[in-house]
Amino acid sequence: MESFLEFRDVTKSYGRIHAVDQVSLTVKRGEFFSLLGPSGCGKTTLLRMLAGFEQPDQGRIFLDGEDITDLPPNRRKVNTIFQNYALFPHMTVRENIAFGPRVAKRPSGEIHEEVERMLALIMLEEHAEKYPHQVSGGQKQRVAIARALINKPRVLLLDEPLAALDLKLRQHMLVELERIHDQVGITFLYVTHDQGEAMSLSDRIAVMKQGHVEQLGRPAEIYEAPVSSFVASFIGDTNFFDGEVLDTAGTDYLRLRVEGLPEVWCYNDKKKNIGDLVHLSVRPEKFRISKDVPSDEPNLNSVQARVEDIIYLGSLTRFRVRAGDVLIAVTQQHSRFLLDQEPIQWEDDVWISWHADDSYMLDRVTPESPGTNGDVGS
Amino acid sequence: MSASRHRAEWWITSPSFIWLLVLFVVPTLMIFVITFRPSDPWGGIGDGWTLETLRRIFSGHYGAIIWRTFWISAVATALCMALALPSGYFIARASLRWRSTLLLLVIIPFWTSFLIRIFAWKVLLHPDGYVKQALVFLRLMDADTSLLYRSESVLLVLVYTLLPFAILPIYAAAEKFDFSLMEAARDLGAGKIRAWLRVFLPGIQRGLVTAVVMVFIPALGSYVIPDIVGGPTSEMIGNKIAQRTFVDRNLPHASGLAAGLTLAVLAPMLMVLYMQARRPASKQGAR
Amino acid sequence: MKRSNIPLYTTVAVLVFFYLPIAVLILHSFNASRFSGAWEGFSLRWYIRLFQEPDIWHAFRNTMVVALIATTASVTLGVAAAFALHRYHTRLQRIHYIMIYTPLVVPDILMGMSLLLFFVAIGAKLGLGTIVLAHTSFCVSYVAMVVLARLQDFDFSVMEAAQDLGAGWWTATVKILLPMLAPGIAAGALLAFTLSIDDFVITFFVTGPGATTLPIQIYSMIKHGSPPLINALSTILIMVTFVLVWSVQKLMEDKHA
Repeated sequence: MESFLEFRDVTKSYGRIHAVDQVSLTVKRGEFFSLLGPSGCGKTTLLRMLAGFEQPDQGRIFLDGEDITDLPPNRRKVNTIFQNYALFPHMTVRENIAFGPRVAKRPSGEIHEEVERMLALIMLEEHAEKYPHQVSGGQKQRVAIARALINKPRVLLLDEPLAALDLKLRQHMLVELERIHDQVGITFLYVTHDQGEAMSLSDRIAVMKQGHVEQLGRPAEIYEAPVSSFVASFIGDTNFFDGEVLDTAGTDYLRLRVEGLPEVWCYNDKKKNIGDLVHLSVRPEKFRISKDVPSDEPNLNSVQARVEDIIYLGSLTRFRVRAGDVLIAVTQQHSRFLLDQEPIQWEDDVWISWHADDSYMLDRVTPESPGTNGDVGS
Repeated sequence: MSASRHRAEWWITSPSFIWLLVLFVVPTLMIFVITFRPSDPWGGIGDGWTLETLRRIFSGHYGAIIWRTFWISAVATALCMALALPSGYFIARASLRWRSTLLLLVIIPFWTSFLIRIFAWKVLLHPDGYVKQALVFLRLMDADTSLLYRSESVLLVLVYTLLPFAILPIYAAAEKFDFSLMEAARDLGAGKIRAWLRVFLPGIQRGLVTAVVMVFIPALGSYVIPDIVGGPTSEMIGNKIAQRTFVDRNLPHASGLAAGLTLAVLAPMLMVLYMQARRPASKQGAR
Repeated sequence: MKRSNIPLYTTVAVLVFFYLPIAVLILHSFNASRFSGAWEGFSLRWYIRLFQEPDIWHAFRNTMVVALIATTASVTLGVAAAFALHRYHTRLQRIHYIMIYTPLVVPDILMGMSLLLFFVAIGAKLGLGTIVLAHTSFCVSYVAMVVLARLQDFDFSVMEAAQDLGAGWWTATVKILLPMLAPGIAAGALLAFTLSIDDFVITFFVTGPGATTLPIQIYSMIKHGSPPLINALSTILIMVTFVLVWSVQKLMEDKHA
């Protein structure tokens, strides 16, 4: 695979804490790549090492074949969008954008042209002569983007750029960022703790935890096939079931004994054998919930349960049902006119069912993540 | 910390550090040292060491003056606090537009040469001045008593010059105070005064302490005020220091008195610094 | 919540208290009469007399020279001190901070006395030189505190942004840090200047023959008569101080907040 940006065994420690612990990953040219994880996972440190504001204790960083580990930040062809934008308050929007080219001593005609192009890209032509304190948060962000992009960096680094914006603005800027990425075609490295942002914007995501990468892949891969319970619960909701293999029916499917539930069938993609322990993650939307007994399809798991909690959200409803001692989260999409149907109420006895193909076998259970044996993870 | 960082720190610290060491710390120490030297006939400092000056100071009748200095300073401080608390509170609660205007109004006299302001009072309190005329007219005093050259006039002018030093720290602390705490107290049943005493005052205590220190210490060292509007019955220790220096030309003696004043001044200051060091600092060093 | 009116009344009373003597002073500078007890009509004679006094001009010149040199020196030292205090948090800086902070609380008379003793002890000749040294010494602290306050509010991510965009350390300092800090430094400079031209006690202690400054001149005028001239001189000084302080306030306001 052609690697455009590569972190090789990068480690950064503060005292005894490894902020970044032997991280190796590669980013492709033109990709929108996100580093996703809770605070303290090392994503920002990794970004800052790429920008040049921190030095790795070990490991090297390569950009387009060149080892940039020892270069100072002003000599790297990498630009950063800071979380608080860091616009120069004593310069106008135009002067802010022109700063990079001015420092690089480009001819003034060229600078003027480029600044105009950038102003058009971010759609702030009428605000060019304003000062940062005279423009809104979303506009400041766009100025920060323009100020970075005008230098034609090889990688654009974004450090939680939407964190300071309110909900509506954030949604708008998500669309903007995507548009700009498509238009400009530069590699974006995006740091966030918000899985919604990461999933909607990225080509690939690296989920990080405590200094290392838990999983790297496309958003759908990460959502549907999480390797660990941490990833499964960090992104979206899920249910965890721990079980022991009782039977390998034709080696394609496994029959499991899960505590508190009748026997459960799951797809055997990890080639487990009788007696092995298996950790399953089943997303709430993979369940069907109904008062009627489900038909007897092959490899369909069905369980009786009682409804304990209902949250109606319009297009879908979130249920929490109890099967035995086990609490399960189920999401029901309302694809038919709901008022024609008999609604499911609190304390109703229902059947929930899911197909053995729709659960996913985790590689490992992360110790601190909530939920084992049917508890609802979130 | 790396050696080059050490060096960089030293390079940037040394100019001010060395300057203040030579022109502030050393001279302050000299106050104590010179006390033990004799004075020479030309008003300078003689050679050798002696305890003569100390003996003279302790046998000189400075008791009354020292007591008066403390007493006037304490009363001035109390009056300043009584006036500064409501004013500082008011300005902190005022709308932003008014606030900067009010602050400016408080600060301007603060920066006007204090000599001028003292002189202005001398004019006002002059036997032929307006205030005297008004008071006599209102039959609040008779024509013989003088408004000037007494402890009361010193006190008045002291409060006048030092009041801004009290208002500003109280304002600064009140501005940072979360007034919704007062509302919470009222909501829980406290009366206005109780809320003020139990919630507001403790909440701004650092400002209160700063205000007290900023008034009391300069008051102790006041010289010009008693010199211009005070009389022989209202001399303070500052007068004596100046007198020994310029009139008697006895530097070691003046130095000894100054040493005493320095100790009196350092005590509350060190207390404040100690208290500041114990509580979490609000603005000490970002990063 | 019904607000008590005591704070309002007190504040108004305090402000009246502050400005009454000053107002009377300014009023009387235009009083044709020598005596402040009686008003004899509007006149500029005292101002004219003032401009004709050679002593006053001499003192004015001295005051300006001292203030300019002391301001320059104290701003240089003070800005460096502020940077050191902000950037480093070592034991050295804690001592440094005490050294900067203490002069702000020590009464003038002690500073004046200690400096006099120092100069006499080392055999220095008292005059404009010693005044300059003294003024610089007490101004450093004020400048340092003002600039330090600005630094503490300073968001250094703009420096990182400058480097990120290609500026080296020097360019970033010159194009970003100093312009942003300039108002704070200017405020410190104006403060130092104002303190220097107004200082009396410290100057009085360390001055020598021929080195009269305006405050000293005023003092001797107060002691030895001619009150109307003092009124006029005071009015001028008040006006100058007003302009300077107003400028400092404007500079300290964060325009870009």
